Amino acid sequence: MPALRMSRIVKRFGGILALDGVDFEVNPGEVMALVGDNGAGKSTLIKILAGAYQADAGTITLDGAPVEFKSPQDAWNRGIATIYQELALTGKMMIPDNIFLGRELKRRVFGVSFLDRRAMRERTKQLLSSLDVQVPSLDVWVELLSGGQRQGIAISRALNIDAELIVMDEPTAALAVAEVRKVLQFIRRLREQGKSVILISHNLQDVFAVSDRITVLRQGRRAGVRETRHTTPEEIIGLITWASTAEDDQETPFEGLGAA
Amino acid sequence: MAPVGAPDGFLAGPRRAVPREVILMVAIIAVGTLFATQSEFFLTERNLVTVLRNSVDLAVICAGMTLIIIMGGIDVSVGGILAVSAIFIGHSYKAGLPDEVVVPIGIGVATMLGALNGVIVAKARVPPIIATLGTMYVFIAVLFLVIGGTWIHGLPDTLSFLIRGEFVGIPAGVFIIGCVYGCCWVLLRWQAWGRHLCAIGCDEGSARLVGINIDRVKIQAYALTGALAGIAAVLYVARLRNVEVNIGTNIALEAIAATVLGGADIRGGTGSLIGALMGVIFIKLVQNGLVLIGVSSLWETVVIGGLLIIVLTLDALETRRSGRPT
Ligand SMILES: Nc1ncnc2c1ncn2[C@@H]1O[C@H](COP(=O)(O)OP(=O)(O)OP(=O)(O)O)[C@@H](O)[C@H]1O
Ligand SMILES: [Mg+2]
Repeated sequence: MPALRMSRIVKRFGGILALDGVDFEVNPGEVMALVGDNGAGKSTLIKILAGAYQADAGTITLDGAPVEFKSPQDAWNRGIATIYQELALTGKMMIPDNIFLGRELKRRVFGVSFLDRRAMRERTKQLLSSLDVQVPSLDVWVELLSGGQRQGIAISRALNIDAELIVMDEPTAALAVAEVRKVLQFIRRLREQGKSVILISHNLQDVFAVSDRITVLRQGRRAGVRETRHTTPEEIIGLITWASTAEDDQETPFEGLGAA
Repeated sequence: MAPVGAPDGFLAGPRRAVPREVILMVAIIAVGTLFATQSEFFLTERNLVTVLRNSVDLAVICAGMTLIIIMGGIDVSVGGILAVSAIFIGHSYKAGLPDEVVVPIGIGVATMLGALNGVIVAKARVPPIIATLGTMYVFIAVLFLVIGGTWIHGLPDTLSFLIRGEFVGIPAGVFIIGCVYGCCWVLLRWQAWGRHLCAIGCDEGSARLVGINIDRVKIQAYALTGALAGIAAVLYVARLRNVEVNIGTNIALEAIAATVLGGADIRGGTGSLIGALMGVIFIKLVQNGLVLIGVSSLWETVVIGGLLIIVLTLDALETRRSGRPT
């Protein structure tokens, strides 16, 4: 995974300034947590990284080289896979259709390309079993599945992209305790494989359990970056909620940036 | 026919305990039996072949309507497209052009009008019902301006084999319908494009997040429906050899009714081509039967509109009962 750096990202929605010059970086092989209050701009930031939104200003670089993600496909091609907060599943479609939506496998017959349904089913089975996601059948509408199963399908979709950086926006929000543990385990496994992970979560316990560093967003600005080992939940909560105004933000040296 | 868990697209999705296609089959047999007891002419081969011939243009348009409704859209302007395309065909014939030129002109014009709908819906973000209602009135105005209340008649019969022809004893219409539905089915179920169409109908936001080019798919879908309306115009002219002022008036209502009867969800996401085709057959049989037993043709639209409302109400009730969000 190349070092990712997003600089001075600005995003407006009509009159709302969702991101006001945010800097954000992820080192190779690290789990970076991204936390902040509701509406702080976390999802907006990672949607820009995912190519789903276009920033109004700011740059993204991978290993120092500027990149431009005009569509989610562009981001996938650079090895960035995103599991959206809203999962981005289509309820009235089957599981393989969902996992391969937008990047279907095809097979050419007489010069015309058709969907390779068999290959997609096989791959879907592999993905689901590697994540230990239990489903009654592949041929069910995903809207009929449980929250955990749907989460599992969204994660499988990201896993199916041979990604170096996996972005997870609230992956554990809908899950029961055992399933949360599975997701955290999965994040650790990704890191062991040398991949980077961005984890967005409101659950600081989860964040402290798996992350290497924590970036805090507050009202569309970066409120600070901390190494997980050297901080406490209290300090993070302080950064999230304004309480610690003493040392803020943009001036803080990006400790650990060159370290990896 | 479609067990629970059947793949979506051709047959309706796995939501219903009893597939809509089965219900429609039962309904077709029931009305068939009813009309057969009221009129001995109803079940004759001659009558049924006539019904088939009169169904081909609706069936062709209905395939497009099914795709549009699966995409979460609607096109109430198909009758207007049919009319304008038929005028171009009529005038091209009058100008002495041969079939090889006339047919592409008719289909080409219709495709462009369909694409225009698509552009308005996709780029200007006008809700499809409003956009196509607007273009419908524009198309109808064109119709009146150009033919000014008279018929274009006396068109050549060189294409009537499309309607009256037979191959190994099977009427030509069967092959046309087979071709159109076969192609649409392949598009819907075996092409990525069809998956993208369904995804847009299910959840446009999700479709956007996975990088589907929504505007392009929408424009293509409306253009395709336009093209099918153009084919329907060719068939219409081949069948009647004239273009009259009331051409295409009820065809949008009939196509929407057939699609919804066939199991499509008017809110998008699912639909069934086979079901829609059976809906067409059902509607055309009912219309034919009503005429045969001497009911005024005014009642046709009442019956179709009523059926549409009943089916939509039952769908809404089913959704509410199963507690699924609308
Ligand atoms: N598509 C959109 N259109 C308009 N406003 C938006 C859109 N997406 C986000 N916003 C606004 O931008 C701001 C940031 O939203 P965002 O979803 O990024 O927050 P978040 O940090 O992910 O919050 P949460 O923890 O609730 O998920 C909010 O004020 C939100 O209302
Ligand atoms: Mg969010």
